Amino acid sequence: MKKRYWVGILATLLAGFTLSQQGPFQQRVQQAINSGGSKFAQTMKQDPDQALCSQYRDKLPPEQVGAFLERQRALIKYPANGKLMGDWKQGEALFTNPRKGNCYACHTGDPKEAGAGRMGPGLVGYGARGTSEAVVKYTYDKIYNAWATMPCSLMYRAGHHGILTPEETAHVTAFLLDPASPVNAKR
Amino acid sequence: MGRFWRLVGAAVLALFSLLALAQEEEDPVKEAEKQKKQLLEQSGGVLPSDLFVAQGEQLFKTKRGPKNASLEACDFGRGPGKLEGVVGRLPRYFFDTRKVEDLDSRIRTCMVRLQGFQPQEIRRSEVVAIAFYLASLSNEQPVTVRPLMPQEKKLYELGEQLFYLRAGPRDMGCATCHVTYVGKRAGVLPYSDILKDKRAASHWPAFRYSNDQAWTMADRIRACYANLGMPAPDLYSEPIIALTLFMNTQARGARMDLPGFIR
Repeated sequence: MKKRYWVGILATLLAGFTLSQQGPFQQRVQQAINSGGSKFAQTMKQDPDQALCSQYRDKLPPEQVGAFLERQRALIKYPANGKLMGDWKQGEALFTNPRKGNCYACHTGDPKEAGAGRMGPGLVGYGARGTSEAVVKYTYDKIYNAWATMPCSLMYRAGHHGILTPEETAHVTAFLLDPASPVNAKR
Repeated sequence: MGRFWRLVGAAVLALFSLLALAQEEEDPVKEAEKQKKQLLEQSGGVLPSDLFVAQGEQLFKTKRGPKNASLEACDFGRGPGKLEGVVGRLPRYFFDTRKVEDLDSRIRTCMVRLQGFQPQEIRRSEVVAIAFYLASLSNEQPVTVRPLMPQEKKLYELGEQLFYLRAGPRDMGCATCHVTYVGKRAGVLPYSDILKDKRAASHWPAFRYSNDQAWTMADRIRACYANLGMPAPDLYSEPIIALTLFMNTQARGARMDLPGFIR
């Protein structure tokens, strides 16, 4: 009886040890990445949720979605003044600046903007949703951290990665929602 | 009756907007062919890629380097000096270096081993020109890359892993655009379908008329990373060879169009 008990403990310990080790394949991947140069190795370092999205090729198992969304929601930060809708004019510049939001690479905003991409849904007339608190917050959250609403979405987490500050996120939110913005011009 | 005409009107409108859309979505292959024709007419029948090929041929056949040797004895996988169709067989494992090498790294290996150059003194522009020369000898040949050696299989798996790896400030990896969102476009450029369209990987090395540059697959991969705001892997490094092996394997069976002429 006692012997069995010990075998059980040993097996559990061994299993724990095995699972906590990086697999030989993962080590090999890391080696290869390192051989690409130190800056490349640095940029290829994943956070745990990037690793999950890569592992499941953007289709998370349903039982993992809830916790994933919760972790991402916790990453969202808001402007100090609490205003989630800023200045649409500054938002427009951020929307089209390739080094900042670069939003137009995937979304049409102002329909007059040439060369907008089609990776994401078009946003012309987005402001038709109104500017209720819920709509503003949803829009802000989506821009700040797209993975908080859609796990492994193509849309990058601009706020989380510091590409947009909370204040800048509010400006882009205004660009989409402000009735005076060209996104919502009467046509 | 009024309802009937309204329906007809709507149908006609829909047809027109479809036509307008079709015109806007220019097929990149047709567009490249048009540009090629224009360039040929303007230059009297010489393409910029022809100049790279000629330069590469000269570099390949001239005795150079500390060992004063040409590259004519270089073995690209079909035996020393056999150059036809080799681009479609790379990357592959080489017994002499005990490494899987792609076109670029194999050229570099021969410049080191046959000509006696130090790796750090090898000029990138020369490697690209030589790659263009070899490409011209592989035109219209099939891609036959198939990982069979254990080293090749391992590197293929690695390439697949890297292809799907999402990282960096834009949370992206190759597959995000080239698999998940294939058929859509960012800015004006549509993304090639690496997994299903065999043409995607079978036209490198290529001349890019939009920026007037000669690129190999390595340059393409590095520019992709740069576009995502990520520092690119070093030239001739394992990540580049692994990704190339993964992509060229997807292109197996394609007839190569070399050197490529693309946007």
